[in-house]
Amino acid sequence: MIKFALAGNPNCGKTTLFNTLTGSTAHVGNWPGVTVDKREGLYKKLAEKVQIVDLPGIYSLSPYTPEEVISRNFILDEKPECVINVVDATNLERNLYLTTQILEIDVPVIVALNMMDAVKANGDKIVIEELQKVLGVPVVGISALKREGTDELMQKAFELAQTKRNGTTILENTIVGPIIAKVKEALPQDLGSKLFHAIKLIEGDELEVKAHPEADKIATELKAQQPDDGFDGDYEAVVADRRYDYISVNFKKAIVKANKQGMTKSDKIDKVMTHRIWSIPLFLVIMFAVFHFVFSEDLLFMNAIFGLEIKSETAVNFFTGMGYEGEPLGGIPSLGVFLQSWMGFVFDQLGELFGLFMSTDTWYGALIIDGIIGGVGAVASFIPQILLLFLFISIMEDSGYMARVAFIMDRAFRKFGLSGKAFIPMLMGFGCSVPAMMAARTLEDTCERDRTIRLATCFSCGAKAPIWAMLAVVVGGFFGDIFVFTIYLLGIVIAIVSALIMKLFGKNHDVPPFIMELPAYHAPQFKNLMAHLWEKLKHYVVKAATIIAASTVVIWFLSNFGWAFWNGMVEIENSILADIGRGLSYIFYPLGWAMGADGWKYTVATLTGLIAKEDVVSTCELLGLASGAIGLSTAGIYAFAAYNLFTLPCMAAVATAKGESTKKGFWVTLAWWFASSYVISLIIYWVLELYSVAVWAGILVTLVLVAAIVASGIVLSRRIKKYSKE
Amino acid sequence: MQWYEILIAVIAAAIVALPIILHFVNKKKGKHSCGCGCDCGCTECSSCEKCKHESDK
Repeated sequence: MIKFALAGNPNCGKTTLFNTLTGSTAHVGNWPGVTVDKREGLYKKLAEKVQIVDLPGIYSLSPYTPEEVISRNFILDEKPECVINVVDATNLERNLYLTTQILEIDVPVIVALNMMDAVKANGDKIVIEELQKVLGVPVVGISALKREGTDELMQKAFELAQTKRNGTTILENTIVGPIIAKVKEALPQDLGSKLFHAIKLIEGDELEVKAHPEADKIATELKAQQPDDGFDGDYEAVVADRRYDYISVNFKKAIVKANKQGMTKSDKIDKVMTHRIWSIPLFLVIMFAVFHFVFSEDLLFMNAIFGLEIKSETAVNFFTGMGYEGEPLGGIPSLGVFLQSWMGFVFDQLGELFGLFMSTDTWYGALIIDGIIGGVGAVASFIPQILLLFLFISIMEDSGYMARVAFIMDRAFRKFGLSGKAFIPMLMGFGCSVPAMMAARTLEDTCERDRTIRLATCFSCGAKAPIWAMLAVVVGGFFGDIFVFTIYLLGIVIAIVSALIMKLFGKNHDVPPFIMELPAYHAPQFKNLMAHLWEKLKHYVVKAATIIAASTVVIWFLSNFGWAFWNGMVEIENSILADIGRGLSYIFYPLGWAMGADGWKYTVATLTGLIAKEDVVSTCELLGLASGAIGLSTAGIYAFAAYNLFTLPCMAAVATAKGESTKKGFWVTLAWWFASSYVISLIIYWVLELYSVAVWAGILVTLVLVAAIVASGIVLSRRIKKYSKE
Repeated sequence: MQWYEILIAVIAAAIVALPIILHFVNKKKGKHSCGCGCDCGCTECSSCEKCKHESDK
């Protein structure tokens, strides 16, 4: 089968083009680094099926990052029939730097000028014929997002794939030219893409030097004979300089810029969104607004501020999913709460429907109605609410705002010795910890990679969201949204504090530079948003029907039968689960939520969360804790939430962490997850309890904790400065 | 025990066994069922590639 590779800079729209061509729904993020590995799909519109390979975004073919190595090895070793070099037409000059390197490989190349619609909207013009003449390869203008020009691109690429092409370089007429010719001669006869290898040898590329030591000797000798031209013998810099020179001189004619004065729309928005002082408060306001629209029971605080009450029975039933209990409703619930109420009602009705045919006094009635429908329904009822949350997160992502969040956070994180590059995988953790941990492989430093994996759980994933939604109902009133907001905020704060601690006790104090392009703001694409939501919905439904349903049956059995299970059902307090839970609850006793008569139930719920985090909710429901029956104090609720947020993630995420970390790093990570969640939960419980006893004592302890964190920050900042000087 | 009780017991056992069976089937196919988006079953996307790699180990 013919194979085409999509190669280009990060965030130039390769994955969007890949999805357009193959009909896939691969995750597209409006920030660089979403694709960390190659992915494949089929294009079927041509005479022959074509395999499309989406390569990770790269700035060069030097082996500095794993993505660069993946892309480079793929083009050189797998020898695709054609390389489609995707170029962001709005950033042509910078993107062409990579193009000049791809052209040096013996492979047919076609340049796809993506985002031509944005170029037109800016009033700019690109003379494609001129560009073609300078590059010496076909160029096609496309808009992957609007599916414009993609068929023409594929047709031309298909024709090109039938031909052979030898690498060409723009460095021929520079001081490097003569050296290239001689180094090429020194390379083995049967080696393909000699031109590329020769140039990389001249640049001092580590992989090439290792592979061709003889040719490297010649390259070193020849370089030593050249006069110094201001780069102090650094030929990597010489080559880069010549490339940029060539690009700026030769491609001027191809770009006709509109005579626009002043700032672009994106620049104007960024003046506010990435403001030195206001950006973080603004981010917090946006996040709070999201949680308010998803979790609040008093939309726009209409009850809290204006005392709005809904007294009509019909209206209360409408807003609460037939939940009228003879009392007026305080304010209008948010869309998320509204959807959750109705979904809960549907599952209640389903339970009642089954109740017509069987009684919950029989084991099978209890299993079906209380166990499966109750347990799975408890999780499923939160699905619309969680999807709404993800819709808002997807809007932030797709519009380009999340990329700004990484930029804003880099500024804050840098002070604590963490690079913004590490923050991107963490941001992905809001969706799922698994891709977040996988994205950590973009970090060159293994130490930083292990730390990032360790911190990925601080960012509440989609599976944990039903836990917060369940607890938000318990917290109740218009505090539900504030509760969820503070949990997410706590995650970010703990991630910073953890990074600080790890840096403080770690050996490496270097903060790698973080370079990220901020994409222009654009209206989120409906299709993209729906694709994200569909993926999430599919995932939830599959999980509810398999892992959650299975664990629900097991938990139901363990909570309804004693050790002598053949004697029939027993009271929950005498069940196998109660015995196991009581035994283990002593470990969690100091954390507050494991105390009391129901302590063992929370212990068991936490443990089942290790299978899948949604199991915490289904277990609570099965053990009679959900639906407002959670008997914890506010301190207990926060401590329980904190433990579940920071502890070991689900099995899938633990397996990923094992695969992505170093061996030692993985065991440290496991210990870190358990210890940090335990300590944080402990501190939260006792500090909040202290507030309820004596506010002054609570404030005092809080101040001591904050002072300890600030002092650690100062010590670390000094160490970083000292390290930088050295 | 009535016939329907036996049937329900068998279905319940199947529900418990299903994810375990699926785990091994998916492992063979290179599929994964976490939230990483690779439960598409294509075995071609980056996540599936990774999971395939994991199951090969």
